[in-house]
Amino acid sequence: MTGSKKTITNKIPLGKSERITVVIANIVLTIFGLIAIFPCLHVVSKAFSLGTRVTAGQVLFWPNGFQLETVNYILTKTSFFTALKNSLIVFALGTFISMITTITTAYPLSKPAFKGRKVISLLYVISMVFFGGIIPAYMVIRTIGIYNTYWACIMPFAIVQFNMFIVKNYFEGLPESIEESAKIDGAGDIRTLVSIVCPMSKPVLATISLLYAITYWNNYFHVMMYTNSTEMRTVQLYLYDIINNGQSFAENLYSGMYSGGVSISPNVTTDGMVAAAVTMSLIPIIALYPFVQRFMIQGITIGSVKG
Amino acid sequence: MKKMLSLALVCALLLALLVSVASAEVPALKGPGNVTLKRLGGNVGFDVNANYMVDIIKQATGYDVEYFSLPAQNADEKLLMDVAGGADYDVINVNVNQWRTLMAQGALMPLNDLLDAYGQDILAGNSADAWKALSDKDGNIYGVPYMYPHSQEIASFMACRWDLMQAAGIESIPTTIDEFYSCLVALKDYYGDEYIIFSGPYKPASEGNENWVIPKTIACAFGIYSDWMVADDGSVYYMTEAPGFAPMIEFLTKLNNEGLLDPDWAVNTDSTVNEKFSSGRAIIACSNRAGVQVTTPAQMENLNLTYDDIGYIGALKGTDGTCTYMRTEAFNQISCILRSSKNAADAINWMNLKVQNQLFICIGVEGVHFNYDDKGMIQPINPIFANERGDSYWYIDATNQPAYEVQWPSRIRKSDAQWAAFNAITIKATAETPEIFVPNRFTFMPASEAFTKYNTSLFKSLQDFILQVLSGTRTIDDLATFQSDWANNGGEEVRAELEAYIVSQAE
Repeated sequence: MTGSKKTITNKIPLGKSERITVVIANIVLTIFGLIAIFPCLHVVSKAFSLGTRVTAGQVLFWPNGFQLETVNYILTKTSFFTALKNSLIVFALGTFISMITTITTAYPLSKPAFKGRKVISLLYVISMVFFGGIIPAYMVIRTIGIYNTYWACIMPFAIVQFNMFIVKNYFEGLPESIEESAKIDGAGDIRTLVSIVCPMSKPVLATISLLYAITYWNNYFHVMMYTNSTEMRTVQLYLYDIINNGQSFAENLYSGMYSGGVSISPNVTTDGMVAAAVTMSLIPIIALYPFVQRFMIQGITIGSVKG
Repeated sequence: MKKMLSLALVCALLLALLVSVASAEVPALKGPGNVTLKRLGGNVGFDVNANYMVDIIKQATGYDVEYFSLPAQNADEKLLMDVAGGADYDVINVNVNQWRTLMAQGALMPLNDLLDAYGQDILAGNSADAWKALSDKDGNIYGVPYMYPHSQEIASFMACRWDLMQAAGIESIPTTIDEFYSCLVALKDYYGDEYIIFSGPYKPASEGNENWVIPKTIACAFGIYSDWMVADDGSVYYMTEAPGFAPMIEFLTKLNNEGLLDPDWAVNTDSTVNEKFSSGRAIIACSNRAGVQVTTPAQMENLNLTYDDIGYIGALKGTDGTCTYMRTEAFNQISCILRSSKNAADAINWMNLKVQNQLFICIGVEGVHFNYDDKGMIQPINPIFANERGDSYWYIDATNQPAYEVQWPSRIRKSDAQWAAFNAITIKATAETPEIFVPNRFTFMPASEAFTKYNTSLFKSLQDFILQVLSGTRTIDDLATFQSDWANNGGEEVRAELEAYIVSQAE
């Protein structure tokens, strides 16, 4: 007989109460998902709606009177791409530097033979618990001459002690015999670290690099404090400035949309401009998220397992 | 040997004296092309160094300038840290509070000699009162004033649906408080609950001529124009002590009780009021130039209205026919120079050159960016005016105030909606009822201890009291209790300072 193939599966069939639980969980999570996505849809819709509809509150979850002028204005008349470039540089360079410093610090500290490792570890713990304060940090940044540079945005996070301890703990869990074999084969410390230890630690390094990347991308405060020119603004600062100055932006564009002294409907308003800036700023993160989602979940759990 | 030592000491002292005399002289100009000035300004959304205004100012002054801006958040703290950290800005453009803080820190350079040598146009372009307010007791000037560009503007007004008002049988825009009340009642009788009759935003109150809980166009009908006012005899009294305060609160309470006010007033924002007005849900709304700029086009497109269907209600007269609205004369920004600046002379010279070229820098070229109309007023040519001078406001450090007061309205005129309201309210009031404008006697008052310490909290308690009365949790009969608390919480100390200032001005 055809069409009566039985598939063999390892799944344990769910009981009735469990199936009800799964259904309820799915419904509840769907509702939560929608609650989370509706505000996002509202913002995106405003970015693409006619300004007059936005002002009148006639935009909910779908563009009302589709237009691209607001987005076009954000992309061409504001410093969006400068901010994006700055964010990407800080994000990429910062993550790279942080990973180098974290690995090279965690590796020696993970070796029992390293003299003074307890004292050095203690110093890291102390600096993790007690922060020197923003004013001394600011003075250090100015004194060493990196104020208003990319370095000022990167150096405060060059090594995050918590991340370093996670990596150190992971390194401590690696079998010592593998490293001994490498050394017998003639590998030095650096070669052992690069060719043996790091490849074996890919999961933790991927997760930590993601944590650093998120920190750099979301950083607002340090960029605000340690830079003073609009050319150095990252996306987070740019967004705040657009929100703060949306009115003056819209004023200028609005007047530019006059024709022969008669007003025609302006498509760009303060609210629409803010929505467009937020929407555009979200695109890089949304594009990246599917590729790093796996590591984010690991990142949430790794601290509890290893930390 | 002793003689030699004495001689050496005398020589050293003479040398030191010569050096100090030399350093007291006005520094020489390095001149355009020999120095790059650094200028810090307030928060702004665009890239200040990539803006078209950079080239325009370079063209007018010859100076290369690098621009910096403060963040939107924690601007005061950032400014102080920059200054304390040895920032090398040549010009800092700050608000009044920031200037006062820098003054208190002793961070600013006295400018008298520099202004005499290189800033004659700036000196001539501002009033003696403005200079006095930016000076210490010894007459040392520590800041360059950039005054609010229009000293007599009714900045807060009410916009209304004239088409709906006419349909309800209202024959003219209300100009008195009684007419206004009758208008609201007539609208309520005619439309019932179909529309919000009168909407407005709740704004966190601030002292002086800033945000109030009460619409200023209504308060002026009750003789109230500021938190602190001055009687004819020079005595200073608080808003709650004004004879019109209780009647004003009773009037607003009456409007609320009769359903004439937006029930959401206390939670409204500017944005929600604009939304209600432009979507056709409200008939009258508290507004301002920025408000009508977005509501007017929205009403035209969504409700098919024309300018003939929209009206503007200005400062209302009281039952006795009087009205008091405070002039908007105030410091917009103050430009100052740090003691550590190495290019102070060029900084003043640069600002002076900008004042000399004020029309070109701020408004543009006649025939290209603007024309003069029949009345001699500046009519901007759009869109080039907006595209090539729209951002000039951020680059202003000093103005020739009388000239800028004439030039500035063109910046409003670039927007038809703003100009319609400005014309109907401010220009009309200036021409027809100039007597309503009352000077702000404290505009140029230097910072004082009790005022700085108490006034904000006093105004906050006033705001709370008004809201409590309007919401019914307290009554106007509690005014005496409020007044007593107010006096015990620093009110009398502030009054004493203000009265002393008024006396000092009269001397």
